[in-house]
Amino acid sequence: MRWLRGLLLALAVMVTVTASSPVAAKDNDEELAEKKKRLPQRKAIFKQYKGWATMTVAWRDVINEKIRKKLMSGLPTTIATRAYVFDDTDSKEPVALSAKTCRVVYDLWDEVFRIEQRQAGRKRNTVAVNLEGVMRRCTEARRLALEQVKGLDEKKPYFVGVLVEVNPLSKEMLERIKRWVSRPNGAGKVERGDSLFGSFVGLFVTKVPEALQVLMFRTQTFVPSKLPVIEDEKKKKGKKSRS
Amino acid sequence: MLRGVVVEGGTSARRGRGAPRPRSVLVALLVALVTSLAGSAHADDEELDVAVSAEAAAAEPPPEVGAATSSPATKTRVRYTLEGIDLRGNARTSERVILRFVPYRPGDVLDVDDPELEVTRFRLLATGYFSSVVLSLRRGSKRGRAILVVELVERNTIVVENLAMGIAADEDQDGNSEPISPFLGIQMAETNLAGTGITLGAGFAAASDQFAINARFFDPAFLGSDWTVQANLIYADGRDFFGNREVSFESPLLEQQKVTDYAVVDYRRFGGSIGVGYDLSLATRILVSYQLEGVDAVVPTVASHFRGDTREPIDFDIHPGVSVLSKLNASLVYDTRDAPFLPRKGQLATLRAGFAVAPIGSSYGYGKLELGYAHWWTVPWGHVISLEGQVGAIAGDAPFFEKFYVGDYTDLLPDRILGLNPDRRQPPNLLDTDIVEVRYGDYAAKLEAEYRIPLYSGRDSVYGIDFFTGAGLYGVATRRDFTNPPSGYEGFSLAPLDLTYNLGLRFETYVGGFSVAFSNLFGLLPGRGGNRK
Repeated sequence: MRWLRGLLLALAVMVTVTASSPVAAKDNDEELAEKKKRLPQRKAIFKQYKGWATMTVAWRDVINEKIRKKLMSGLPTTIATRAYVFDDTDSKEPVALSAKTCRVVYDLWDEVFRIEQRQAGRKRNTVAVNLEGVMRRCTEARRLALEQVKGLDEKKPYFVGVLVEVNPLSKEMLERIKRWVSRPNGAGKVERGDSLFGSFVGLFVTKVPEALQVLMFRTQTFVPSKLPVIEDEKKKKGKKSRS
Repeated sequence: MLRGVVVEGGTSARRGRGAPRPRSVLVALLVALVTSLAGSAHADDEELDVAVSAEAAAAEPPPEVGAATSSPATKTRVRYTLEGIDLRGNARTSERVILRFVPYRPGDVLDVDDPELEVTRFRLLATGYFSSVVLSLRRGSKRGRAILVVELVERNTIVVENLAMGIAADEDQDGNSEPISPFLGIQMAETNLAGTGITLGAGFAAASDQFAINARFFDPAFLGSDWTVQANLIYADGRDFFGNREVSFESPLLEQQKVTDYAVVDYRRFGGSIGVGYDLSLATRILVSYQLEGVDAVVPTVASHFRGDTREPIDFDIHPGVSVLSKLNASLVYDTRDAPFLPRKGQLATLRAGFAVAPIGSSYGYGKLELGYAHWWTVPWGHVISLEGQVGAIAGDAPFFEKFYVGDYTDLLPDRILGLNPDRRQPPNLLDTDIVEVRYGDYAAKLEAEYRIPLYSGRDSVYGIDFFTGAGLYGVATRRDFTNPPSGYEGFSLAPLDLTYNLGLRFETYVGGFSVAFSNLFGLLPGRGGNRK
């Protein structure tokens, strides 16, 4: 039947598009593993401290002019950092995660930045007198504990993938905002296009970003057994005082 | 699933023997990687579940170098007394309109952690009046006081609301499609009239020997209240085509006689509607309106056609001469879609009811009920599936332009544009039923599934491009199809059902949604099987 030709053509196009769709890639995991490796690389310092693999690295570039202005706005700015440890030989799944969150509010009257740091289950409140202080606390990791060395395969190479988000929206907030934005007042009819040359629905669609700024990078690899060991500072002091 | 989760308590998790696999962590990262690399703002919704094994808890990681220690003197919860609101950059939009979306007033205690602050920004962006909204605080006149600064960048608010164009078609004696005329419909609106937030729009539609214009008014906050008010005016000078096969008719108009294959009704509609709406909740909206129209129709004095194998008179479903349509409408909408044009999840349910009776001045007495429900899901591999169902029924004698038109249910014929019907064709009849005997029905139902494949996701001017394909089953029937079905049909073919399908691309952009659908291209392919004439 002739109408069948139209249907078959439709199916053929669908199959072609499905096959070529990047989202439908069969080997998604491997593709993503490759993409992880292709992230911009940043030099980090890895050392072993108190039996933990630690990392020292900075991501100050996440603070651009827009974020700088936001930090000075008197309204809270959250900088959430997640460091995922991946096995370089099999980077499909992270083997460990460390997270660090900074919530910064500029106090208009005291002219200081009030910082709430959350890391490794600990919460600390502190102040910084200038942006440099904020950046030092929130956009740098200095000896950030990643994972116990004994929890890693000592001879395998690992790398760290870092995801930094500025003002990420909570799931509830995102849902709430999206609903608000998805039903703009006075919206035109939203229906599928049905004419030969197409149709157009003029809605003011506002995209809701999930964070104000996102930065991702990966580090070079490290091998746990080759990490330089830092001596415990307390023990070091104890030894000195005894001597 | 992760959706930009604020990490409340950072910790270290590991995947060891017996420890829970950080599956959701993997999902989180993969999603983050995909969205970042594709420039997407979409992500999944899984909660970040950072599992801490007993072993890991026992071996607490050492603190970072330079990590501050807690001090009772330090505080992060900051509150001010709001001294004022400073609006900047609103050259056209009145302060009254902007302040409608700001839930604070001078004298309020403003907690900088109040999530309403972030919502306020998006509320203002969602109005469509601004391209950028930045909130900040500055010192007030006394210690402890602050002024909320709202910096706005206004945008163009004249928009194309709807644009449809295509080629209407007829069929030859063999049932092959013959393009007859192009059609065009366009609706434009100023969505922030003189900075008042009021929408004033106008539309125009033209097809062969017909045209229609309309005007639309919408106030999202009538007199500053939570009620919306909307009004529409329409003038249509149209014609519609009746008769299935071997149509014979006598017409008082010469122009009507030129079209020999159909009995033509010339009509003019002038009138409008006025209504009020109210948001019952974030997702639920109710609208009540009154519609009044004058109709002047020129109907063939006598006309007949073959319905099935029997010659019957044609019922034009309109009063000849001048008549009045006076109707009360009510609708209830439940909408939880996450996006208006390319939803990835959520539901849209609509209930519409209307009745027109003589006591309110109507020449037509009927009631109309429509129910619609659609649901969208995102499957684990990122594609979107939707299911949509619609049912509708009319009891009484409605004018044909109020009835269910087959073209509104099949994607293979153009929809009506501002009430005009540019296409003369019968439905494709892929199931070989008596659907070809129906143009306007009293009952309609449709069940449709759609599959969407996101091809592109971005953050700049184009937010997303999706390939879509869908198929459905629909039926449109008159009352007579149940009481006196057309002769010559038996069994399943007595059910006026047909299939519809569609595919194409949808673009979600900064200025709106745009579809390129290929259904009508297929519709123009010869495919009627020659069963019309």
